[in-house]
Amino acid sequence: MRVEQALRLLPDLEALMPLRGLLLSSARPDERVQWGSGGPYLTVGKREVEPGELARHMSEVLSVVAAHVGALYGAYVEALEHQQAGDAAGAVTSLLGAGRLEERVGRLRQAEAWYEVALALAEGLQDRRPEVETLLSLGHVCLAVAQYAEGGRHYQRALVLAEAEFDQGGAIDASVGLGNVALERAEWEGAQAWYSRALRLGAAGGDRFRLGRIEHRLGLLARRQGDLAGAGDHLRSAREYFEGLGPDVKGGGREMAHVLDAQGQLDAALGRPVPAAAAFREALAWVRRDDHDAALDVTIRLHLAELLLETGRLLEADEEMRRAEQLAITSNQTRGLVRIYTLLGTLRGRQGDETGFVFFEQALELCRALVRSPAEEARVYHAYGLFRQHSGGPDEARAYLERAREIFRSLGVDAEVERVAAEIETLSA
Amino acid sequence: MTRTMTRPMTRPAQESGAHVPTDKEGVRALAVGGESSGPLQSLRQWAAELKVDLEWAADLPRATRLLAGGRWDLVLAVLGEKADEDLTWWVDALRGAPGAPRFIALADRPSMGLALRAEKLGVLDVLSLPLRREAFAAVLERVHSAVSEVALPLPPVEANAVGDYALVGQSPVMLDVYKLLARVAHSTATVLVQGESGTGKEVVARAIHKHGPAATGPFVAVNCAAIPENLLESELFGHEKGAFTGAVARKIGRFEQAGSGTLFLDEIADMSLSLQAKILRAVQEREIERVGGGESIPVTVRLIAATNRNLQEAITQGRFREDLYYRLAVVTIQLPRLIDRGDDLVLLVAHFARQFGQRYGKRVDGISDRALDLLRNHQWVGNVRELSNVIERAVIVATDATLRAEHLPDELRAAEAEAERAGTGLPTLAQVEARHIARVLAHTGGQIGAAAEILGIHRNTLTRKMKEYGL
Repeated sequence: MRVEQALRLLPDLEALMPLRGLLLSSARPDERVQWGSGGPYLTVGKREVEPGELARHMSEVLSVVAAHVGALYGAYVEALEHQQAGDAAGAVTSLLGAGRLEERVGRLRQAEAWYEVALALAEGLQDRRPEVETLLSLGHVCLAVAQYAEGGRHYQRALVLAEAEFDQGGAIDASVGLGNVALERAEWEGAQAWYSRALRLGAAGGDRFRLGRIEHRLGLLARRQGDLAGAGDHLRSAREYFEGLGPDVKGGGREMAHVLDAQGQLDAALGRPVPAAAAFREALAWVRRDDHDAALDVTIRLHLAELLLETGRLLEADEEMRRAEQLAITSNQTRGLVRIYTLLGTLRGRQGDETGFVFFEQALELCRALVRSPAEEARVYHAYGLFRQHSGGPDEARAYLERAREIFRSLGVDAEVERVAAEIETLSA
Repeated sequence: MTRTMTRPMTRPAQESGAHVPTDKEGVRALAVGGESSGPLQSLRQWAAELKVDLEWAADLPRATRLLAGGRWDLVLAVLGEKADEDLTWWVDALRGAPGAPRFIALADRPSMGLALRAEKLGVLDVLSLPLRREAFAAVLERVHSAVSEVALPLPPVEANAVGDYALVGQSPVMLDVYKLLARVAHSTATVLVQGESGTGKEVVARAIHKHGPAATGPFVAVNCAAIPENLLESELFGHEKGAFTGAVARKIGRFEQAGSGTLFLDEIADMSLSLQAKILRAVQEREIERVGGGESIPVTVRLIAATNRNLQEAITQGRFREDLYYRLAVVTIQLPRLIDRGDDLVLLVAHFARQFGQRYGKRVDGISDRALDLLRNHQWVGNVRELSNVIERAVIVATDATLRAEHLPDELRAAEAEAERAGTGLPTLAQVEARHIARVLAHTGGQIGAAAEILGIHRNTLTRKMKEYGL
């Protein structure tokens, strides 16, 4: 049975999300189908799933679910114990811990719920640092679900409190968070101001880890603004900070992978495909060296595939995307899978292959069934619209672009709204 | 129909420039892991006496940098707790690395499953830790004793081109196909093209269109296996705006797009029974209706259908309509598998090498004897499509005008490694059993029930053996 058929038999219930994940990750491509004429268009929906295979892995998934729920219950009991002992700050820490567990498995709304409870408790404390930490967590999760205005408000409040408490780390993180919000909304000047402020605070404290992260963000900002030389300088600084951390600093490898990934994108923008590919490859090695972060791995592979696509190496781009797809499926990275299918659709569009629309349809299906992120959905509609401009027709192209614009508008991402509006305008002309 | 022409391949005395380290020449190897301690420390002392120019990379990022910066013959790395994942990671990381280095995986008590997977991925060998000098020396011996490759010229090929597609081959089975194709092309009869995946069904359909009465009209291909079931109907027949969620604008379907040309329905067996009924109506009545539209639209297309399935069997199982089958199979063309086409393989290699050479701005006019042997010995599950893919990749990575073994995918070189290993001693019964189970599992796409049936054992026994062998 195919995944697309199996998914139709599964009701849309929160409790069944892990089963949906298992369905996807246990699906296998049929070797014979791979070489068929439908092979180039294979998506996860066309993979085969065997009930026996699902049954075999059921216990593993259930034990992971049980462990996760157990950890959440444990965190709650711990919070109660702290509360009973009069240690409200300890209770906040336990609740934040539960939220982070939820974040780690991609349950962002659930994480937000834990953080909200923690915030209500933290607000009553004399020591404001737990409140700062909670607000930072809320800001982070809002940013991840594209609630930029709300995220900005959390970070702003965190900054005010952190400064009042002389909590320098908190103030730096809040400034970086505000910079991130501005960056996502394409408010370059605002982003620059916040990152620069964070950098000043960081330099005073000499926190290499935080300084590396700020330089990385400044590098991203400079690239988005088109200042490629400046971006290179910031990324070099970021790399130096992380290289100076030593091998045992937790998360250092992950940060290094982020920086190298950004470096690869920068080299690609500078028309230097060889160093770009080398940077991506090294980034993958850093991901592998640290605790393997599948989401980051998929993202880097996607950037590598984009590079190959832009340099006309379509076969290699296709192969790289297929490797990323396999990784995304087995590690349940559905968000990554959406991006992979969007890019595969774009690749087929470049080849003038009309059947490439199946990838956009699969990406939208995943957005609706699993990812549930309006921002992702808008990006898919946008790419789909561009695909239809060349393959399909202007009516369909316009309809998809308008849908993308509508979603971006609801998210308050003005820069994207303007960009898509300009494309619709061109289409009408 | 024009047939392909070729001259027999001759073997010149010219030696290729492929880098195969000789006994006198050192092997350049990169060892990944801690140098001063750990399982690889003995390597340093063996390196000089075994003529290995050994360098160390303390960790993966450094190894990646070194790999990008120079040519290597060998890479040795210790697999961690997740040995399977590490193995895949390394094979991926070494893909396209300068010098096409071979990989030696080192693991604590490697399972038979790991060894088989490594073999399938084209890994040179999996050595057990602690590393023994003799084992390492034996692998090096295999690298040293690899025969030099001799470049053979690619024969000239005259292909029957249909746009970007070409019919290449002069084997007796293909001559029969050409004859039938010539007879059927001039009629308007519906044609059913059957053959395994990648045998060239669409190319044949295009040839029929090009040489038939509908040649002036468009050729529209629909891949029924690629399109999600719920979208296939609107793709074929079109839809009116608002006919269903997502019908954002009126859409003209493929039947209408084909107009007075040819509509090619590929992988027809993948269609649902209800859609088969609608296709039958379109074929019988010569008219269609858009989804959400009440108007009947006349169509005059010539229909060519293709499948890689056994439709008679599908009819017996109730998965394909018998009446539709007889409507489609007015003339049936059966395409042969690549392995049944003999020396057509060489012609196809020559054709693809030139085609891709032109696309990537390279001159390719030869192939080494070793590379050709590897191609000849491969099973070609994906037939001509798989061969085309392999040659395209080889052309991309080739640095001069000759395609060599090192340009071929690891999976193809795996067969050679297996043969080399087999030469080192007779396998145990357990090794043979594990290998056979792995093959059957690959054949059934990992389906345990089907594999147990083929093997003639209970599925519980198979599951136990899979666990035992680490499959």
